[in-house]
Amino acid sequence: MGKKEKSMEKQKRKEEVILMKSAKVPLLKHIRREWKLYAFLIIPIAYYIIFKYLPMAGNIIAFRKYRAGGPIFGIEWSGLKYFRQFIRDRAFWNAFTNTLIINFSYLLVRFPATLAFALLLNEIKNVRWKKFVQTVSYLPHFIAVVIVCGMVKELLSTSGPINAIIKAFGGEPISFIQLPEWFVTIFVGSSVWQALGWGTILYLAAMAGINTELYDAAKVDGANRFKQVWHVTIPGILPTITTILILDIGSIVGSGGVFERIIMLYNPMTYSTGDVISTYVYRMGVGTGNYSYATAVGLFEGIIGLILVNAANMTSRKVTKSSLW
Amino acid sequence: MKVSKSYRIFQIINTIIMIIIVAATLYPFLFLVAQSFSSEKAIYNGEVTIFPVGFNIETYKSIIKQGDFLLYYRNTILYAVLGTIISLFSTAILAYPLSKDKLRLNKVITPFVIFTMYFGGGLIPNYVLVNSLGMRNTIWAFLIPGAISTYYVLLMKSFFASLPQELEEAASIDGLGTFGIFIKIVFPLSKPIMATMVLFYAAGLWSNWFTPFIYFDSKDKWPVALYLRQIIYGATSTNEISAGLDQAQSIAASVKSASMVLMALPIICIYPFIQKYFVQGMMIGSVKG
Amino acid sequence: MMKLKRVISALLVLAMVFSLGACNNKEDKKTDTDSGTSDSGAAATEEELDYTFGLDTTFKSDEPITYSMMYSDHEIYPYQENWLVWDKIKEMTNVSFDLNIIARADYDDKKSLLINSGEAPYIIPKTYDESAFITGGAVVPISEWVQYMPNYMNFVETYQMEDDLKQITKSDGKYYKLPGMWEVPAGTGSEYTLVVRKDIFEKAGVDVTELEKDWTWDEFYDCLAKVQNYVGGNPIWSDRWKGDSLLKVVGQTYNVPAGWSLGDGMQYDAETDSWYFAETSEDYKEFVTLMNKFISSGILDPETFTQEDATAENKFKAGETYVIGSNRTVLSMYDQGLKETLGEGNYELYSIVLPVAKNNYQTENSRLENGIMISQKALDELGEAGFIKMLRFIDWLWYSEEGKIFTKWGVEGETYTVDSEGNYTLNSDITYNGLNPEGTKQLNVDYGFSNGVFSYGGTLDLAKSMLADDLKDFCERLNSYRTIKPLNPPVVGDEDQTEEMNLIKTPLMDYVKSATLQFVTGQMNVESDWDSYVASCEANNSQRYIDMYKEIYDSQK
Repeated sequence: MGKKEKSMEKQKRKEEVILMKSAKVPLLKHIRREWKLYAFLIIPIAYYIIFKYLPMAGNIIAFRKYRAGGPIFGIEWSGLKYFRQFIRDRAFWNAFTNTLIINFSYLLVRFPATLAFALLLNEIKNVRWKKFVQTVSYLPHFIAVVIVCGMVKELLSTSGPINAIIKAFGGEPISFIQLPEWFVTIFVGSSVWQALGWGTILYLAAMAGINTELYDAAKVDGANRFKQVWHVTIPGILPTITTILILDIGSIVGSGGVFERIIMLYNPMTYSTGDVISTYVYRMGVGTGNYSYATAVGLFEGIIGLILVNAANMTSRKVTKSSLW
Repeated sequence: MKVSKSYRIFQIINTIIMIIIVAATLYPFLFLVAQSFSSEKAIYNGEVTIFPVGFNIETYKSIIKQGDFLLYYRNTILYAVLGTIISLFSTAILAYPLSKDKLRLNKVITPFVIFTMYFGGGLIPNYVLVNSLGMRNTIWAFLIPGAISTYYVLLMKSFFASLPQELEEAASIDGLGTFGIFIKIVFPLSKPIMATMVLFYAAGLWSNWFTPFIYFDSKDKWPVALYLRQIIYGATSTNEISAGLDQAQSIAASVKSASMVLMALPIICIYPFIQKYFVQGMMIGSVKG
Repeated sequence: MMKLKRVISALLVLAMVFSLGACNNKEDKKTDTDSGTSDSGAAATEEELDYTFGLDTTFKSDEPITYSMMYSDHEIYPYQENWLVWDKIKEMTNVSFDLNIIARADYDDKKSLLINSGEAPYIIPKTYDESAFITGGAVVPISEWVQYMPNYMNFVETYQMEDDLKQITKSDGKYYKLPGMWEVPAGTGSEYTLVVRKDIFEKAGVDVTELEKDWTWDEFYDCLAKVQNYVGGNPIWSDRWKGDSLLKVVGQTYNVPAGWSLGDGMQYDAETDSWYFAETSEDYKEFVTLMNKFISSGILDPETFTQEDATAENKFKAGETYVIGSNRTVLSMYDQGLKETLGEGNYELYSIVLPVAKNNYQTENSRLENGIMISQKALDELGEAGFIKMLRFIDWLWYSEEGKIFTKWGVEGETYTVDSEGNYTLNSDITYNGLNPEGTKQLNVDYGFSNGVFSYGGTLDLAKSMLADDLKDFCERLNSYRTIKPLNPPVVGDEDQTEEMNLIKTPLMDYVKSATLQFVTGQMNVESDWDSYVASCEANNSQRYIDMYKEIYDSQK
């Protein structure tokens, strides 16, 4: 290939790039032009269709009577019977409310705490100390939930260290684990403790992606460290922050992720504040195998989650100009 | 550079906060480590704090002596390495096009992907699917169906989107193909997020007991996570416990702690290697280089 | 273009890998069924069987045969491929297992998954509750086949198990699992009880051995008060199993289902031949009042209802508490622990016969145990003759005297010896549950015998044969001081009734559980909160539940 040809090709490409940015072209033409990028998507989309969408057909049993061991799509139509079953159930709505309260409180604490911790970590000057703090802070992530809950119970028992402190100050011991009013605090506390360090990793990665020249420019402009954080760091990680926040808001009604911890921490005395949808459905299903009911509840949770994530996405688009789609 | 007084005060407060966090997160872990080296008697007398009492390594010996433990370990390493490669690759090739605003179909594809975060098929249809694909009781049942995490796709997408477009355009003008740009320009620029994804996927695979539990029939395919689950949980169903007989026994606390430590240690140890990719300025250097 | 080709070829390779995997799988299955049908012989009649079986005959197949089975793996004695038990089964019967091994913590979940997806192995042992699977057609209604199982039938006849079997019979008149069967409930009588530190009790001036013959809970309370007085302050009793075992055993004496046996709270009154909701009865009131007395006096640790078992156990092993719930297995663990902390001879453990309240019954009256479900797939794939052959193998291994001794004790000479009077002795180098504590090998860990998957049920003699002396003593006291409660008449609704009742039951019983613990721990007051408690039960549809229950019972009478 001669030099001339090469430069001509370069020119051609430049034109193409300009064309791309130009006004709308018909869809087919657009796809043909961008087929190389779209080709990337073939495997992932096939994956999504096979492994995510195909099994969704199983959700049909929310509307059909299903017998364990019978046909996997159920035996007969049952209409909205299984939806009515939980919609009319007071205990379900108690669990629903608890789910919202627990997830929302958790988000309310975890989100700012993680972000703040990441920013504080970023301000540590001594590299070794920084690495040490980081490494240590994410150790809890690797301790099994059941062990964490065991430690929490020991810590909070009437003969445990917390109550020893209360007694030392002349207070009456509190049986934290048995009192409904303490459940959310205990849940959020133990979860945040476990998730704090691990949660910072994403923000740290995003911070590492910020162009250092921006900091230099800020310094030249006379910005102190606090101002640099406010004007450079935060905007730099804003896409990450919004992505995480939007997705977190969307999962506020989901209770699958908190199931294990709740099961380990709650007891009949704290059902009134600790029982969430997944644990309620679990108790409902033990020994009865009512899959249709569980599936109907799952669909219900999904619909609310979808509405929430949409709302969060729209709000974000308006407020921060960045959104997921 | 001159440091302002308020910033110095801030540094002191920051150090104090960090010390508190270190204490709060390190103590329980040290406690588990100490327990794993302690005698049972010391444990139930409540003598163990962060120092072992009645120091011994018998617990570790007995766990490792069990031939199967090393097998489970080997399995876990295999699953984690292979699975991370598969997951990272498939997540990246999905996230990259999704991050391009110019792709008009993204308006459809992104919701198509996000939708799956809220609606799943449930356990039984998934099992039937994997079984009919002939993947049951094979390593692929573990690595393929869960290969892509939509959550991570979206995070990666937002990272890609924040990369300077000019570099890619310049490369395109220089004659680099789309795949070439992806490998030669985007990948090096994305080390922080790639490192994060490696860590997340690897840690996820490392501690995943559920998928192997669902799809593996034979014990020689078990990962350590499943072994650990068996050790730690024992009998959780009321039926099992109240049935009495030999069912009510439980594993010694020192064995539980030791297994926990043995499992967590390797994944904790890879962090320092990942960490270097989180250093600021990394990116600029790589672009200029 | 090149890149696309590469991607496509990569995809093709992937697809091939998968399809190969699929082929292998199918082939495996095919050979499985082949061996199944050819071994049993499609044309085999009763006269020309390719195996031996019978009441006094060891089952043996002429040709080697493999049956698929789920296996509940116990973390204390994890599965070993080279256990003697597998070799011996193979040697004696020519049968080997194709096992699907699942840790017992998650056994029920996997069982449900396998049955639901139509992939269940032939033999599904360790089934406590089969009711979820009966309507789907994936499990064989085994009651229609038991006539082919001579040892099973023999046990049923000899020990009159008919009424017991009615307890697991469903509304269609069939039952769906082969239950474990005991001559006496729980083998040697109710094993869950309380163990006390007899040495401390004696020092405090309490002689439990005399009192336990007919003591009441209030008398028991007085004893504990004395002990507490003697040792000073702290709770002397911190119980395990989240208090569920305690509530169960105490509740039973008050005719109130509670804790582990809460169920739906319905109680049968033999005098009037009717059922009532026991959780709002006067008996319940007395029961929670008593439990609250233990808590409010500081004798019983309120942590009992929420703490981990290990915490309760540690307090007892460390010598900080003097009463704790126990059964046959955990008793020997307490013993070991105390031996380490206090030293041998410095303590004495004593399993008490529990106090009485409204009746003189033991806790347990069921003689059934967990059991074996048989997958419909087995019948479909093996054919009728092959299916019956498999049942006869199961019959031998789980229900024959020979099979039971084998799975419990192992192999004569190799693991145990038996003397002329029929006393069994474990070889001195083998230890198990308090027997031969100095032994270096464990019967279950190293050999696979006394394995919960195989070894349960049987005669009183057999169950007793393996008890350590202190437990034998407890068993005799218990059975001479307390009687066994007659079985309740079964009440079984059909599919729709069961579904409706379950929807009421979960929230209702959640509330009862919660309120019971609040009454017991003192968060609610039995006197002042009683009316609102009853009202809440009614708001949770208790009346509708009771009505349905009675209706079903009356229609079945």
